[in-house]
Amino acid sequence: MNDDLRPDPDVLLAQVKREEQQEKSGRLYIILGMCPGVGKTYAMLLLARQRQHDGLRVLAGIVETHGREDTAALLDDLTILPRKQIEHGGHTLEEFDLDGAIQSRPDLLLVDELAHSNVPGSRHLKRYQDVLELLDSGIDVCTTLNVQHIESQVDVVRQVTGVTVRETVPDSILDRAHEIQLVDLSVEKLLLRLSEGKVYLGERAEAAADGFFRESNLTALRELALRFTAECVDRDLEDIRRARRIASPWKTNARLLVGIGPTPYSESLIRWTRRASGRHGCPWLAVWVEGISPLTDQEQEFLARGLGLARRLGGEVVHASGEDVANTLLGVARERNVSQIIVGKPSRRSRWRPSLADRIIAGSGEIDVSVVRPQLGRPPVKPGTPRRRSATVANHRLREYGWVLAILGGLTALCWQVASVVGYTVPALVYLFAILLAALCFTRGPMLMMAAVSGLVWDYFFIPPRFTLEIKAPEDIILLAMFFAVALCMGNLTTRLRTRGVAERRRQMETDALLRVTQSAALIPEINQGLAEALKIIDGVIGGEIALFVRSMDHTLPVTTHPASTWHAPERESGVAAWSYSNKQVAGRFTDTLPQSTGTWFPLQTATSVMGVLGLRLSLESDVLDFSRHQAMEAFVLQLALVLEKEHFMHAVNQAEVMDKSDRLRKTLLDSVSHELKTPLAVIRASIEGMGNATANPYVAEIDTATKRLQRLVDSLLQMTRLESQVVEPHLEWCDVSELVDGAVAAVGDALKNHSVSINLSQDLPLIKTDQALLQQALTNVLHNAAVYAPEHSLIELMASHADQTLHLSVRDHGPGLPVGEEDRVFGKFYRVPGAPAGGTGLGLSIARGIIQALGGEITGWNHPQGGAVFEILLHGDFLIHGAEIACVSGQIGKSRVATPTP
Amino acid sequence: MTALIIDDEIQIRRLLRLALESRGYVVRDVDNGRLGLQEAAFCRPDVVLLDLGLPDMDGLDVLKSLREWSTVPVLILSVRDQEHVKVSALENGADDYVTKPFSTAELLARLVVIQRRHHGNESPELVVGPLTMHLDRHEVFLGGEPLKMTPTEYAFLHALARHAGKIVTQRQLLREVWGQQGDGQTHYLRVYANHLRKKLGDRLILSNEPGIGYRLLDPLPTDIP
Repeated sequence: MNDDLRPDPDVLLAQVKREEQQEKSGRLYIILGMCPGVGKTYAMLLLARQRQHDGLRVLAGIVETHGREDTAALLDDLTILPRKQIEHGGHTLEEFDLDGAIQSRPDLLLVDELAHSNVPGSRHLKRYQDVLELLDSGIDVCTTLNVQHIESQVDVVRQVTGVTVRETVPDSILDRAHEIQLVDLSVEKLLLRLSEGKVYLGERAEAAADGFFRESNLTALRELALRFTAECVDRDLEDIRRARRIASPWKTNARLLVGIGPTPYSESLIRWTRRASGRHGCPWLAVWVEGISPLTDQEQEFLARGLGLARRLGGEVVHASGEDVANTLLGVARERNVSQIIVGKPSRRSRWRPSLADRIIAGSGEIDVSVVRPQLGRPPVKPGTPRRRSATVANHRLREYGWVLAILGGLTALCWQVASVVGYTVPALVYLFAILLAALCFTRGPMLMMAAVSGLVWDYFFIPPRFTLEIKAPEDIILLAMFFAVALCMGNLTTRLRTRGVAERRRQMETDALLRVTQSAALIPEINQGLAEALKIIDGVIGGEIALFVRSMDHTLPVTTHPASTWHAPERESGVAAWSYSNKQVAGRFTDTLPQSTGTWFPLQTATSVMGVLGLRLSLESDVLDFSRHQAMEAFVLQLALVLEKEHFMHAVNQAEVMDKSDRLRKTLLDSVSHELKTPLAVIRASIEGMGNATANPYVAEIDTATKRLQRLVDSLLQMTRLESQVVEPHLEWCDVSELVDGAVAAVGDALKNHSVSINLSQDLPLIKTDQALLQQALTNVLHNAAVYAPEHSLIELMASHADQTLHLSVRDHGPGLPVGEEDRVFGKFYRVPGAPAGGTGLGLSIARGIIQALGGEITGWNHPQGGAVFEILLHGDFLIHGAEIACVSGQIGKSRVATPTP
Repeated sequence: MTALIIDDEIQIRRLLRLALESRGYVVRDVDNGRLGLQEAAFCRPDVVLLDLGLPDMDGLDVLKSLREWSTVPVLILSVRDQEHVKVSALENGADDYVTKPFSTAELLARLVVIQRRHHGNESPELVVGPLTMHLDRHEVFLGGEPLKMTPTEYAFLHALARHAGKIVTQRQLLREVWGQQGDGQTHYLRVYANHLRKKLGDRLILSNEPGIGYRLLDPLPTDIP
């Protein structure tokens, strides 16, 4: 078989996983349109009515009819979820009630306008996040969406319509859609509807409507919607083909890589990559190469925005560091088997220096390279703050320039004094020395200025003729040129060296802090003290207070923070922490979930579970959690999670050891007690048998009876003790109920010989997975009980049947019945019905109950209306119906018959 | 015939000695496992009665050491009555298992059965009460009447009949009839046990020991003294 034709197992596995995920979570139906007014809401309501007609519980979570009567009429029969009132800035706003929807758990929930931004004060910033949470809690959701709101289409929409869309949904939510249905309408009809006033444009959009609803725009949007749907259909087809193992005509092992930097162009590159990956149906990475120079605040923001977008669009974010960006990118690409690299096209090409794209192409080898013309992303969305921040940076710069000038002034004055003695070349060396020293504290700009200005100053004040820039002697010209060259190079190189040193030191500090956190948390024997140390270190490195919630043994989050916390979060924050814990996502400030909270909450997640949450409170002035701090936090969080997990495992192991020891002790004790009790019994019994015919001597017969009674008591006591100390572990295997019933009847033996027993087994009894020995003993005890209490020659009925994954075994006698009102007491230890015949132990039924409970079933007793007691055993478990084989087998023994107990 | 008793309780040893000697056995008895192994090597007994709770070593280890060089029939006589103990003894080479307190008559009957199987000849015929299996021709007769069987039923019956009167553990049965893939498939046993019971009627008893295994019994034993 040709290997190339076989579907990649990884791809199949991914598909199976996705399907499993979809099985567990709710299904998402998206009704897609090209623009408002095509009838998406109408289509959604039609679908909802259809489902309701099919018998599903449909709930209208939020539906905007915008006053259109025909749409509102469709809503009449549906249950509508009341909207939630949210107080914000003195106004009462209405919003979709997420918690209400989750609580009412409908079969299908309607949520209109997926791209909607929630009003401030809601849990999530965006409605699509609400929908994701609904899906995760297993609720099917039907929603509507316009094509221009899809994140990856934003650039295209801006190109064709000139409108920048701000409310977007990430493409990853579309990947989760179970079904995408397109509502299509021709442009003419839409314009007609528009002129009839049937299209709701929104309050603010009305002004823009004239520009937006042009025929050319609408045609372009329609094409976009159709093409997008076609791509989705294409992917479905691909899935089907893969599932049928038809050789795929496309590269299944494609993988894209986009290199992003701290520039406003990254966002459009990321969108481009996402669109391409959607077309290829392949995974993609966004790689950021951290260089040596630190980022400015604005660059930080661009970077954070780019990385955030990449994450939202479902890409994998990779962080690499290296001085040579091109080589580092290529290294990552080779390591991850990337098939195509996407880089931005440089705005202008330099003749001398090859651009990043050129260098990647030169070193790409077998990897394809796409050079894409990027578009300028949105300007920073938080006006004011970045400007204020850059103002402080500018201030700092100005001060450096001032210092540089002051130093130069001072030096010049000094040299002026001594120039007459030492000559005019010495000041040049003094300037060079000063530049070297200054480069250790100042940044590049002031250094370059210092180099240039000092050259001019030297020329003006010292090189003869003085007080002119003119130079007479040719050797002076050469000297000055050399001075410029050396000063510039030196300034440049030294500052570069210093920046690298700073970056290195910062990295060193972070690694160091991480190491200290791990050491203090893992090596200090008292875990709480270690955690306190670790949190203090994190507090110092990150520069914010830290709160810690550690999950308790029953996997819930406690109400109060861990005592090691440096920030004791108030109660309202614990809600955010709990959300982060249960959704395994970062939440709170600087995120899209509950952004109004004071802290940012990171789940302490390990490969297997979430150990708790770590909260970070930064001072109120900081308005962005920059990339490096975010990274450091993530590293700390992982370390802490691992330490907590280790602690948890050690605790569990300790507990298991203690349990194991006490278990072994109990077993040994039981064994020796049973040995000590049973050995003398065995001796007595063997001796009696050795005496010969017991019936000949009445004394021997009495001893024999007493011995047998004593033996029963010892057996019962030991069994009861085993059951109570949980030494009994059911050993599950497939059991045949008829075999079990026969075994029980045989085991009761002589006690039943004066009763007639009718056994009635239903025709289709399957095999049940249980512990046959234990169940048989329980049944034996119940039968024995019936035999003791029911009068001789009466009928004892034993029935077995099977329904709803449950086995029913019942024993009915025709005796005096159970004491009225105390039916359940017969299962008590040593309980004996008043006036019971001597010889019982009072343990039989309590042992039966103990066994049945150990097997996960229940046993009850009551009085039959026609007299006599009924005991019923209900046992849930796995059943195995062996088709005709079993049927014909039980057909034979299904007849009611009188059992002949074997001696 | 020589019987070796390995048991630390003197009273039990004395009683067993009385019972066995009355049946014509020559009896040797020891009170610990090490001596028991020595004695077994020295006097070459025809049958061994072994207690599991010995003072110096576990009876199961005695059994394992014994089985390394001897095929002598071993009957376990112990107070431990849990199924898993019985199964592990049987699977480590014990021929039968009797729990204390025991009935002397039953114990003697079991001894006869395990000894009979042991010096069984290599004849192509296997007879258990009314059942005759012609191993060379793969034919089965019950009371002279030919019995039709599927190959699996035949293998199942053969496995039981070869050890007639003795317990065959579930795992041994599954291994013998279905091979490696039979492990853990206890439902096969339930189905085929039912088939066989139907075919054998009440001329032979196929008794189930819950959690342990099956035993083929002749309801009218002729050769037990």
